[in-house]
Amino acid sequence: MFGGIDIGSKTTKAILLDGRTIAAHAILETGINPSGSGEAALEMVLANRGLPRSTVTRIVGTGYGRVRLAAADRTVTELSCHAAGAHFLDPCLRTLVDIGGQDSKAIRLAPDGSLADFVMNDKCAAGTGRFLETAARVLHTDLATLSRSAAEATRACTINSTCAVFAESEIISLLAAGASQADIVAGLYASFAQRIGNLVRRLKVEPPVALVGGVAKNEGLRRALAENLGLAFRPLPIDPQLVGALGAAVIAQRMEPDRPGDIQN
Amino acid sequence: MDLTIDDTIQDLRTDLALALEMAKDEGFKVVGCLCSYTPIELILAAGAIPVGLCGTTQEPIAKAEEILSADQCPKVKATFGRAVSGTCPLFPLADCILAETTCDGRKKMYELLARYTPMQVMDLPQKPEEPEALPHWRSQIAKAKAFLELQLKTTITDDDLRRAIGLTNRERLLMQAIYACCAHTPPPLMGLDFARIISKVRHFTNFQAHLDVLEQLLAELRLRIRQGRFACDAQRPRILWTGLGSSLGCSKVLELVEDAGGVVVCQEGCGGMTRMEDLVDETIDPLTAIARRYLGVTCACMSPNSARFADLRRLVSEFKIDGVIDLAWQFCQPFEIESYRVKELISEELGLPFLHVVTDYSESDVGQLRIRVEGFMEQILARRTYAVHRRASGL
Repeated sequence: MFGGIDIGSKTTKAILLDGRTIAAHAILETGINPSGSGEAALEMVLANRGLPRSTVTRIVGTGYGRVRLAAADRTVTELSCHAAGAHFLDPCLRTLVDIGGQDSKAIRLAPDGSLADFVMNDKCAAGTGRFLETAARVLHTDLATLSRSAAEATRACTINSTCAVFAESEIISLLAAGASQADIVAGLYASFAQRIGNLVRRLKVEPPVALVGGVAKNEGLRRALAENLGLAFRPLPIDPQLVGALGAAVIAQRMEPDRPGDIQN
Repeated sequence: MDLTIDDTIQDLRTDLALALEMAKDEGFKVVGCLCSYTPIELILAAGAIPVGLCGTTQEPIAKAEEILSADQCPKVKATFGRAVSGTCPLFPLADCILAETTCDGRKKMYELLARYTPMQVMDLPQKPEEPEALPHWRSQIAKAKAFLELQLKTTITDDDLRRAIGLTNRERLLMQAIYACCAHTPPPLMGLDFARIISKVRHFTNFQAHLDVLEQLLAELRLRIRQGRFACDAQRPRILWTGLGSSLGCSKVLELVEDAGGVVVCQEGCGGMTRMEDLVDETIDPLTAIARRYLGVTCACMSPNSARFADLRRLVSEFKIDGVIDLAWQFCQPFEIESYRVKELISEELGLPFLHVVTDYSESDVGQLRIRVEGFMEQILARRTYAVHRRASGL
């Protein structure tokens, strides 16, 4: 059995992998204690299957909290982990768009599933999960409602901003001007999709493409981004938020323990 | 020669300030330089001491932002900050400054900097390959010479210039040989130690003594290679650094790269090898020779800056490079835009992993940078493994 733990800025994900089978998985809030939540996620997947810790041969940690994870035998960036996880699920995939809590990335895969190239957003929260949270807060709604509400839009508002803080004040002005929530959300998704779309186009997009990370579960945004990129995202057989943790477990499984510096095979 | 440098950039500046004060007591003059385009030969020919005043640290930036807007590049702000923050021991020692119209941020900042110290801002032609560029630039160098003569109350003869050219050419040959030591696999020094030592040796008051230090440094590096004393093993991915520099004081990305398992073996561009191989022609009119040499310096403020791309292509093969990092300081339009062409060359044409980093002098983004740098190193290792597999399977 091999473990993958992905400590993101917002959520921590864990996977137990046994050959080709995902034996258990868990998703929990990272909160203010990344190492604690990594340990907690590991406890959860083990408890889920009633297994002792000793059954796990090796654990790979990833995500921004990876350096704090004492349980990990090895840490690998979420870039390589997403690539490995997606390749495990669908070896045809060549490009991934990962939208996480605090950053977004476009990742190109080599035919063997290793990391061929990537681009990441800059420091600003625009184009990340945080941006959607801010929008939901200003609109007095939650992420699940936000995900659906663009479907009812009649005329999407124009939101030009590429800065999360300015976008917040733009939303407030639009509300004051009487725009409907659906139209504002549709505008937000279009602006979000434009920003991510430009990031992805900086990498050479090679199909098939999959959308991974927590934000991939937002239907409205998924549709806006697919439209912006002029393609359809390949559906994945598991929760797209788990792909990084899965990749960490995949790397743990194929890693030879005595070959540091060679993480790919 | 001990190559372990523990001094901070502040230590180096304080030490140099003391040495300069002593030299000034003996009657020497000090001329500030801000860029690789400054013709050092004029300063040496005037019998003065050239001192680099370009800003490389975070600490004077806050003061500079009281006058310059926050969205200027850190180099522009830190350089201006050295003049206005009162924390730089070197700036007040400069009798005058030679500068050039390079990027917009710099030349507009120089208009304000000139309020603090007498300055000559030379008009640097930005399409250096045009035939009109050289005569114009030569005239600007002649003006700078006249400016120094006036400011330093001296005269600069052709013989003075020829003597100075002899010294700087000697320095260039030594620096070339020093850089070439790192073409060895594995290199005798890590990139960070190399950047530190180069920053240190660039702080000098006596040019001849400076050349002696370079001789010793070269001898030590060659000795280490002969004795097989290397900085790391031969497997470490070899990184070429391009774009803006990573000298002492702003080396955070370089530190991340070497922490993540790489070794920076070559620095092209600002603060690095920037056409170090171009000597000043000693057989022709000295001002024309100086003008020609400095017009060949590469920078993204030049258009189309073709020589940078020829250099990159050559250095990738000479230094057996595994991946290229291109750094632009935040808000540096020329290097940011030019990065697109660098990526085309490195990743598409040469097929090497390439990372473009945009950052400033602060430590605030180290977490975000670390993942990019580690991802880049994983990309290099993955590419190696893939190549081994392809070879093994006869593809």
